[in-house]
Amino acid sequence: MGKAVKKYFALFVLPTLIAFVIAFAVPFLMGVYLSFTEFRTVSDAQFVGFANYIKAFSENNEFLFSLWFTVKFAVVSVFSINVLAFALALMLTRGIKGTNLFRTVFFMPNLIGGIVLGYIWQLIINGVLYKYGYSITSNPTFGFWGLVILMNWQMIGYMMIIYIAGIQNISTDILEAAKVDGANSFTTLFRIIIPSVMPSVTICLFLTITNSFKMFDPNLALTAGAPSKQTQMVALDIYNTFYSRSGYEGVGQAKAVMFFLVVAVIALLQLWFTRRKEVES
Amino acid sequence: MKKKVTALLLVIVVICMSISLTACGKKKSQVYFLNFKPEAANAYKEIAAAYEKETGISVKVVTAAANTYEQTLKSEIAKSDAPTIFQVNGPIGYNEWKDYCLDIKDSKLYSYLSDDTLAIKEDDGVYAVPYVVEGYGIIYNDAIMQRYFALPEKKTDITSTDEINSFDTLKAVVGDMTANLSKLGIEGVFASTSLSSGEDWRWQTHLLNVPLYYEFSENTDYDDPTLAGLNLKDIEFKYHQNFENIFDLYINNSITEKTLLGSKSTADSMAEFALGKVAMVQNGNWAWSQISDVEGNTVKANDIKFMPIYTGIDGEKGQGLCIGTENYIAINKNVTQEQQKASLDFLDWLFSSTTGKDFVTNKLDYITPFNTFTEDELPNDPLAKEVVRYMNDDSVKTVPWIFTSFPSEEFKSHIGSYLLDYAQGTRKWDEFKKELINKWKSER
Amino acid sequence: MEHSKTANRIMFALLVFAAAVFLFPIFVVLMNSFKNKFSISQTPFVLPNGDTFAGITNYTTGVADTGFFSAFGWSLFITVFSVLAIVVFTSMTAWYIVRVKSVFTSIFYYALVFSMIVPFQMVMFTMSKTANTLGLDNPIGIILIYLGFGAGLSTFMFTGFIKSVPVQIEEAATIDGCNPAQTYWRIVFPILKPTAITVAILNTMWIWNDYLLPYLVIGHDYKTIPIAVQYLKGGYGSVDMGAMMAMLVLAIIPVVIFYLSCQKYIIKGVASGAVKG
Repeated sequence: MGKAVKKYFALFVLPTLIAFVIAFAVPFLMGVYLSFTEFRTVSDAQFVGFANYIKAFSENNEFLFSLWFTVKFAVVSVFSINVLAFALALMLTRGIKGTNLFRTVFFMPNLIGGIVLGYIWQLIINGVLYKYGYSITSNPTFGFWGLVILMNWQMIGYMMIIYIAGIQNISTDILEAAKVDGANSFTTLFRIIIPSVMPSVTICLFLTITNSFKMFDPNLALTAGAPSKQTQMVALDIYNTFYSRSGYEGVGQAKAVMFFLVVAVIALLQLWFTRRKEVES
Repeated sequence: MKKKVTALLLVIVVICMSISLTACGKKKSQVYFLNFKPEAANAYKEIAAAYEKETGISVKVVTAAANTYEQTLKSEIAKSDAPTIFQVNGPIGYNEWKDYCLDIKDSKLYSYLSDDTLAIKEDDGVYAVPYVVEGYGIIYNDAIMQRYFALPEKKTDITSTDEINSFDTLKAVVGDMTANLSKLGIEGVFASTSLSSGEDWRWQTHLLNVPLYYEFSENTDYDDPTLAGLNLKDIEFKYHQNFENIFDLYINNSITEKTLLGSKSTADSMAEFALGKVAMVQNGNWAWSQISDVEGNTVKANDIKFMPIYTGIDGEKGQGLCIGTENYIAINKNVTQEQQKASLDFLDWLFSSTTGKDFVTNKLDYITPFNTFTEDELPNDPLAKEVVRYMNDDSVKTVPWIFTSFPSEEFKSHIGSYLLDYAQGTRKWDEFKKELINKWKSER
Repeated sequence: MEHSKTANRIMFALLVFAAAVFLFPIFVVLMNSFKNKFSISQTPFVLPNGDTFAGITNYTTGVADTGFFSAFGWSLFITVFSVLAIVVFTSMTAWYIVRVKSVFTSIFYYALVFSMIVPFQMVMFTMSKTANTLGLDNPIGIILIYLGFGAGLSTFMFTGFIKSVPVQIEEAATIDGCNPAQTYWRIVFPILKPTAITVAILNTMWIWNDYLLPYLVIGHDYKTIPIAVQYLKGGYGSVDMGAMMAMLVLAIIPVVIFYLSCQKYIIKGVASGAVKG
């Protein structure tokens, strides 16, 4: 088979390859290179070594602050999204009346774009806080929980679908057998259901972690970092460093490289860790 | 059948991709104007349409969203279809973009300047020309002020706005008005001190201009306060107490609780003023359209007046409005000569032809620094008229716009976020003061 | 048995409550889109009444200000053709990668997988710069950008599936005289259809809602829906809350229609997409 196909390289691979090189490979390598230079457009780049990387930390603590803010955000939302999504998935696999309708409703927010989501929640949260004489920018804590709620609203349905698929894959024989053995619902849950949906857990954790770290649109629309950039996540910090300050393009690019490394390391660690769990069970 | 469909799909996609790859030769705009003023977005669209109708040359106008001009310019100027006309906000802005500014000393536009020292020059060249003169101060609704002066339980002995000529008188009147809100039929003396991000320029730039102007003009090392501002590496922020005076006056007598200021925009403030809910708002003559366009506007045009921003600095007696410009037009050096010429022709048309001037005066409401405009070609709106009145009044001393010497955009927005924190009570005034001094130093 | 019945009842009540919580925000936005702009931000939870009812004026001003219909058109155009290009080309590439084992294909495959974890900020400037230099900063060129940037996940999903397709069927077709292109379109692609639907749906959800990429690449000349909504905030010198609410509603409607009409595929697609990932 392979030999005959090989001649058709131009038809099968070339379009994707060209697009990939233009849209990803070249920009990625250029990005790595530019992080070691000072530049405004690309042609005037001057090599400066690690100066941008040093500046990202020494100039002010915005990068570290936003990174820490992102980590806190990711921990809280990954936990809450997965717990709630899994709980909903359990309830929706019991044959309760209206299961399909519920599933439809819970998944819907996921299709709404980040910018639109941000403005929806800005209206709601400001409306509630207004009664107490506050707004979402009065205090960074409001912004933090606003983002967490938004993220939950958006992602729970998605993760729930994945968990439902995982739970439905468990063979009914095992569940029946457990029942015959007199296992109560708790032991069934922890001994049978959770171990068998580990592949779903892997993918859900992966999706929620990476999405939490990369969050940009809702952050821009909901708080835009206010007050005092204290609700600014890394992606927004990089964007602002890059586009709002002249002379900081290189620093922005350096931050982007570090951001990429952080996301890559965390994602790979998580995959390695949960995959190992899958194998064990 | 299936084969046909898939083949068709494939053909469509291939065609699309080949079009996109050959689209490199797309035509560039002759004139591409990157507009700074969101409130003028629609007027510029009309102007572009009129110009195209008259000359057949298409003018592309793109308006940057509020507070995103620098970043829009940055991303646009790197493109192959780059703006041909852009603006810099004074000497600092020029320094940032000097690699892109064409020398326009031989242009008609420069020759129209009634005072050619206003242009931004370096060595022998002229690189940016101001196109609008603006003034700001405290806009007040005279109908409400008259109601106050007629109030029997009034505690001050001031009977006309002319007598408000210092911070103390202003504070006394404002405080007494706040005590009588319901009788005056208003919900606050001042409109919201908008402090949401990107909406705080009235304070971190315009208001801060006043105390720093006095500080810089006392510096005898320089002939000119702007020059002092441009060169000083350290500032003292000597009049920070006066800045606090006026800022506190605004937020303590506001329609909005301090904790909610972070969600307010300039448009909110102007709407509050237009609906007669407040008596005063600090802003400039460009805000007229934001007042007049509000639905349910209850403020009469001839009740809208300006008063200077008093802060209690010695020598503020006889102070006028803050008048100046931060809007300098520049031509992109890196576009083709043809485009440069077309751009200059367009600007020439806009600022000297009858049709163009009509747009400038009546749609954009600009007071221009050009001698092509006669005395009666001034904008008709009440705020512009007030600015002209103050400019021509020899008994008052105009405060020039020295904020064009502030070190960077980052300085302003950083200070703005500290002001929000102060207003919300999460930072002390002293922290704000220290941060301002430090940030000036680090951004210079 | 009795026990589980009460449990189900409690759960039903919980689910009804959760569903109400999920729908509430959308309801609030819908309600406020019919109020005048000054009665929105401070009292969003109050139904419109005689004083605050604004009819459809928010919709008319919003549509006029943002050029909503052209934004809708561009969003639709870009999404449809980008998704089409992604499905067609990445599935072919995936098949080639699986069937032709060489150093090159495995490097390409790993490069594609690698691109999946790279955050957009890493390439935002360099990609928009490259797109501009090559003249791809128009609604047609951006299709190529989406193909390149979306290739990672899509190829990855297709290869995962193709690995389980027995090669014998294809060999039989080759013996019957089909060239590889014919074999692919007649035999392989129909087998891939479920994965193709999944890929199409995941990419539609991404591209339709994407903000930063189109904003940086084509945003000043062609506004898609997210760009138009964001531009409402500062693009006209003031934020018209009424128009904003109306635009949010208009931005949600096409999504809801798409969702309700393809619900079965979407939910299946998301579930199976995840399992293969």
